[in-house]
Amino acid sequence: MGRRELISGPNFSGRSGALMRLLRDGAFAAESFYVGPYSEAALSGLTSTIADEIGIYRAKPDIATGTLARRAFAPLDFAALGRREPQTLSGGEQVLLALHCFSLSAYSALAIDTALEQLDRENRDSALAYLDPRGPVANVALIDNRLASLPGWRAIERTADTAEFDCDPRRPVAELPRRDAPAIDIRGLRFSYRRGPDIFRAVDLSLRGDTAYRLAGPNGAGKTTLLKLLVGVLAPTAGEVTLGGERYRPWRTGNRAIALATQNPDHQWCGATLRDDLARRRAAFAAHAPAERLSEARNGDVAASLGIRSLDAHLYELPLAARKRLSWLWPLSGALPWVMLDEPSLGQDLDTRLRLAEALSALTALGYGVLFVTHDDDFAARIPHRVLALGEGQIKTT
Amino acid sequence: MTPNGAFTIGLVLIAMSLTNPGPRGTAILIALALAFAIIEVRGAALIALRRAMLVVLPLALFMGLLWVGIVGKSPAEIAAGADGTRAAALLYVGSLCGRLLFIVTVVQLVVLRFDALTPLQLIRALALPASVKRVLVITLSLIETLRHAIDRAHIALIAAGTLTRAVSLRNAVHSWRLIQAVWLSAVTIVLGRMRDKWPVENTLSLLDRTLESGGARLFAGDDRIWLPITLGAAIMAMLADRIGAS
Repeated sequence: MGRRELISGPNFSGRSGALMRLLRDGAFAAESFYVGPYSEAALSGLTSTIADEIGIYRAKPDIATGTLARRAFAPLDFAALGRREPQTLSGGEQVLLALHCFSLSAYSALAIDTALEQLDRENRDSALAYLDPRGPVANVALIDNRLASLPGWRAIERTADTAEFDCDPRRPVAELPRRDAPAIDIRGLRFSYRRGPDIFRAVDLSLRGDTAYRLAGPNGAGKTTLLKLLVGVLAPTAGEVTLGGERYRPWRTGNRAIALATQNPDHQWCGATLRDDLARRRAAFAAHAPAERLSEARNGDVAASLGIRSLDAHLYELPLAARKRLSWLWPLSGALPWVMLDEPSLGQDLDTRLRLAEALSALTALGYGVLFVTHDDDFAARIPHRVLALGEGQIKTT
Repeated sequence: MTPNGAFTIGLVLIAMSLTNPGPRGTAILIALALAFAIIEVRGAALIALRRAMLVVLPLALFMGLLWVGIVGKSPAEIAAGADGTRAAALLYVGSLCGRLLFIVTVVQLVVLRFDALTPLQLIRALALPASVKRVLVITLSLIETLRHAIDRAHIALIAAGTLTRAVSLRNAVHSWRLIQAVWLSAVTIVLGRMRDKWPVENTLSLLDRTLESGGARLFAGDDRIWLPITLGAAIMAMLADRIGAS
């Protein structure tokens, strides 16, 4: 049986640092395969096709037996996806690709920093089964906010050594007045990526304000794609959207109603500092948001609630977990009637996830429309919500 | 045919087209490119031509507007201090853009000849020093990183209401913000990789091993037929117009 190390503890307790120290320890492995929290640290970045990404890592089969060192982990048909660019895969699919590459490689050890949190339940279970101490992988080190312990794994418990990023997302929501978010109606929505299969086939969907919706579906089902369509990053092939009964085409006229928190927080900054970022949002939404919720003072208070004391903080110099929390700032400021959050609990410890769930429940009770994507069932269960199940080109409300 | 063979043919064709051949020389070069397209690239040759036209057409329209529409004479006529004609200007634009169309089409033909290979497979199959292959992979990687950064910056600025997906005045006003967001994203993507992933895995050493194991051959198979034909055609193209003139 190989070594299994589960590094747990709250955010800012030095878990990632502990993981790196473990990897530099020659006794763990001479070289390890690393799957970081987002694509830039999960994939090599050296290739432009999935086949090439696999090609870099694929080890030569044993000459005598013609077999690989271990059983391959292949939850998706990557051979069929070979010509696609890795970046066109969803976040969860990129993690699956990284694990597939590792399984074909000659690395004896694997390190995963919170990446399994992006997987749907089925893929997460099969990944954890693959990493089982009796399985084919020699040594594994894992950070995962949803796991306190695993059978056969040694737990390395870290304790927080700083209160610098103390975060309570409930505070800014408690100060908000009621707001009646307009309904979003979608009729006949069709969408496919270039040379890709249909993601949506004639979808009809009605979203009410004062309701929270959870977008659910397997990795690659189109959850993030729907959010991108609603904020205008993508344009549908066909179909109409109305907002409060009026035609709404954000892909043409721009987003004016939805505050989006992206899965990777670094996909949403529009400036180098928090002040730059917020100034641009305030300028863009001046005509569509209540002035008091756009003020710099209000934004500063929300940032402080999320653990960032200064608006002059350079976004890219903050720790990843702090950037993720800051990605909630705009939705929680109450500036816009709809808030949409893509995997908001990723990389966050239990206390923060519980507080965020309370904040989103409170926003819904105040009349805001809330749409969130998560594979974290415990987190979702704490928010009264309806489920939008994505699959086979359709969205079913349950 | 090896990638080295195809790239050599492409380089010879491009080099010859830059030597300013006359009508007979040009005809020989076009005939050789056409033969390569029909025999080696087949149906995909039309894709090569379409892509080349997409690249060259905007430039041709711009140059036509400038030289034929506004200036009304060719650069040679201007240099000679002659009155000049729009017909000469049109001939100048046509000859320049025709040559560019030829070059871009040849590049596309060579690339499409190996369309079945992924970029990494193609680079592995090239018989070049390892350092040159590594430079090619890293160059492609940087291009991909920039594309990724553009995608990220677009998402950020559209979701934040600063830009629109469709063409708009707002986009023109805020284009510099897009550039800033793209550079910041590109730098952070690269740093993320170099700080965490690559040092732990020794990813670049792994790349070197992958590139070395490509089994690349300098020239083989049909190269032995194509390369003499290409060299012969190049010599004929150089001599054809001189013989015709004398």
